[in-house]
Amino acid sequence: MVSTPSHSKHMDSQFLTPDFFESFSAKRSWEPGWLADFRKDSWDKFLSLPVKKNKDERWRFSPRARLGFSNFDQLAESPKPSILNGQKIDGILFDTLDQTILNAPSNLLDLPNMQGPNLGADDTFLLGCCFSESGVFLKSEKGIIEKKPFKHCHFAPKNNQSLFQTNIISLEPFSELTIIEIFESEDMDTGGTLSNLSHVKLAEGAKLNRILIQKVNQLSTFNHLESIQLGRNSEFTNISLQLGGAQSRSESKGVIAGEGASFNNFSLSLGNGEQLFDQRTVQHHISPHGKSNLLYKNALLDESKSIFSGLIKVDPIAQNTDAYQTNRNLLLSANAEADSLPGLEILANEVKCSHGATTSKIDNQELFYLLSRGIHRNVAEKLIVLGFFDEIIREAGTQENIELLRDEISHHFN
Amino acid sequence: MIKPSNIEIDREKGNFHYPTSKYAFDAGIGLSEDVVKYISDVKKEDDWILDFRLKAHSIFEKKPMPTHWATKDLENIDFDVIRYYLAQGQKPSRTWEEVPDDIKNTFERLGIPEQERKFLAGVEAQFDSEAAYSHMKEDLEKQGVIFVGPTEGLRDHPEIFKKWFGKVIPSSDNKFSALNSAVFSGGSFIYVPPGVKLAQPLQAYFRINAENFGQFERTLIIADEGAEITYMEGCTAPKFETSTLHSAVVELVALKGAKIQYITVQNWSNNVYNLVTKRAMADEEAEVRWIDCNIGSRLTMKYPGVVLKGRKARGEVLSIALANDGQHQDTGAKMVHAANETSSNVIAKSVSIGEGRSSYRGLVQIPGHLKHCRNNTECDALLINSESQTDTYPAITIKGDDNSVQHEASVSKVSEEQIFYMQQRGLNEAEAMSLYVNGFVNDLIREFPMEYSVELKRLIDLEMEGSVG
Repeated sequence: MVSTPSHSKHMDSQFLTPDFFESFSAKRSWEPGWLADFRKDSWDKFLSLPVKKNKDERWRFSPRARLGFSNFDQLAESPKPSILNGQKIDGILFDTLDQTILNAPSNLLDLPNMQGPNLGADDTFLLGCCFSESGVFLKSEKGIIEKKPFKHCHFAPKNNQSLFQTNIISLEPFSELTIIEIFESEDMDTGGTLSNLSHVKLAEGAKLNRILIQKVNQLSTFNHLESIQLGRNSEFTNISLQLGGAQSRSESKGVIAGEGASFNNFSLSLGNGEQLFDQRTVQHHISPHGKSNLLYKNALLDESKSIFSGLIKVDPIAQNTDAYQTNRNLLLSANAEADSLPGLEILANEVKCSHGATTSKIDNQELFYLLSRGIHRNVAEKLIVLGFFDEIIREAGTQENIELLRDEISHHFN
Repeated sequence: MIKPSNIEIDREKGNFHYPTSKYAFDAGIGLSEDVVKYISDVKKEDDWILDFRLKAHSIFEKKPMPTHWATKDLENIDFDVIRYYLAQGQKPSRTWEEVPDDIKNTFERLGIPEQERKFLAGVEAQFDSEAAYSHMKEDLEKQGVIFVGPTEGLRDHPEIFKKWFGKVIPSSDNKFSALNSAVFSGGSFIYVPPGVKLAQPLQAYFRINAENFGQFERTLIIADEGAEITYMEGCTAPKFETSTLHSAVVELVALKGAKIQYITVQNWSNNVYNLVTKRAMADEEAEVRWIDCNIGSRLTMKYPGVVLKGRKARGEVLSIALANDGQHQDTGAKMVHAANETSSNVIAKSVSIGEGRSSYRGLVQIPGHLKHCRNNTECDALLINSESQTDTYPAITIKGDDNSVQHEASVSKVSEEQIFYMQQRGLNEAEAMSLYVNGFVNDLIREFPMEYSVELKRLIDLEMEGSVG
């Protein structure tokens, strides 16, 4: 590995000049010293990243030019603040990252130790650690159970600017929460890059339901890097709906760290135009008796493209693991493209693991059936896609959440 | 030959040593342009072949090891201590008495025909097939089938072989195809004329007075329009190699409506790196089938591929891999669809025993302008012991709204209930395990010719010994 101390590789992007970091940290001089050190440390690590190798398996099939940080232009000057929506409950801390740094920084002391998913976008992760200015912090005390979802909404910046944010969600033992995360654009006429780092940590017996809706405009870029730590007997269910972005890269890593934990990761993407969805996932079992189930469905119109790369990794100690991984792609146009890289690395023998990947077109008979009843082709396709997505939508729990997802999908078709 | 590694595996098993200094045709150790020229010179090749070799040599020098995706174990190969050429007739020989008892035992248990044993053990440089197969040879000649080695093929029939040689797998395909292109010797060149359907499978050791197996063998099979051929390479008996690097290139060309079936059964001793490039080109309505069984070796990397170039072409890979202690079977398949209505099927089964590791790596490509293309891939892995490992890394690229693929992979271990059931009926645990594994691969083993499938079953029994308890 060659590492370069020179800044030359970063110089093409004007916002990453050597003294750029100094001016950024001056702006945030109010922060505690350990956080400033963490940012500086991340900046140094970023500068000493090895030169991009030509072939990196973690970027296989990906048109990297569309996703690299060379597209980052400048940091958002006055980003639209995130909107938080959740009732005040004793034992639950729910606030913006900045407010948490200000009021309860002791909650964040672990931040420098939090690992990213490490699935390729090292540069985005380090820049996120360095330049995160917004995000949310959600923490629930032991045994708190709240049915009503906590909502937060974030905005991709305008005028080709970049915004980095960090979300931290931490559930103490036996607490149960639902969270709805929405990503939108500040305005519809210009785009920017929103890079989101999420750290989720579930203690013993905790349960988290998460719904993520990504609908930034189609001039924007969306990066989403999340790592999820599941403690003993905890449960995490995720439903991501990816609709927006000219291009998006999402890296999701779930670590089944405690015995008997259960990790459900579902994702729906609906692409049109020249949208690109680059999805990388890992289900890493490091404890016995864990369960994980991953299902990524992509419906692709026009010239959109999806890349799914998944890995189930089972360590020798993780006996009695059940792990599944499925990728289903529906191609609705001759120029749509779906790449699949489902992977397994199994080092324990007492396991049930499988993966499957299918790519196909719309069933002509289904289409004919709808057309012959006078339904317009667009509507027919929409119905079929909704049907294709339905098995995941139904996992959303309440009727309200299900309707929310269906509406977003229908809306995207119009 | 290989740098020491920290894995405590007996890599000397089957690693016979012979004094090689007394041979007249010896290219020495290490690889250089002079060695390449020397090989070409010994073989009295035409200039264009020498140019081909030299070009390949320079590609080999330039290409990096593919360690960005493949195992780091490749870095343990020391190219400077390998002997790249030993001429025919100068091959080491040994007497039957020198063959270790356990190998004789293995032959016995596998039920290898008496006649073949001496050849397989390296006692005789050639399998004495004159008597057994002379009738067949006559028959082949009558039908116009050409069945020769690469040297004779390129020298005596350039009009047939030159056109396709190095075209399905260009030297620059990968580092090891470049290496083979530079130093190849041995192998089979076969041409089957239009419409000729061979009833009997061809095997390398039918050929008389030629180099059969080599470290860097090169095979090119051309089935002309409507022709049919089954070719078998290797055998279930362990092969005892003096060399630790085996890197072959196999090219198949199936012209319109032709059918080629290529069967490999290999059982390498576990000090061997077996890095092989195999690819077929299938024209309109042609059918190519790779049936591949990999047992033994330290590291096998082999991904037979089919380029489906003509309408309605069909490609198939059936593969069985058995990885025991200290072995890594990195096998798979590549299906490149390049015409409408093409279909491909991949079924891969692997068994990891002890600390063995088996990997499946696949590639399926269907570009958007094609219609009605189909692929089906199934990979099943069986893990026997708690230290066994298995990986699956398929890569699937599909464009267009009129094609479909499905890929399915599963990993499982031997079901305790079933073992219990069999033990209840008087089988001991090892026997039960063998039966289970045989059942797991049975639907693929049935695709092998009868005598192979019988030997394979026995071989699995042998491999399973000592893996339980």
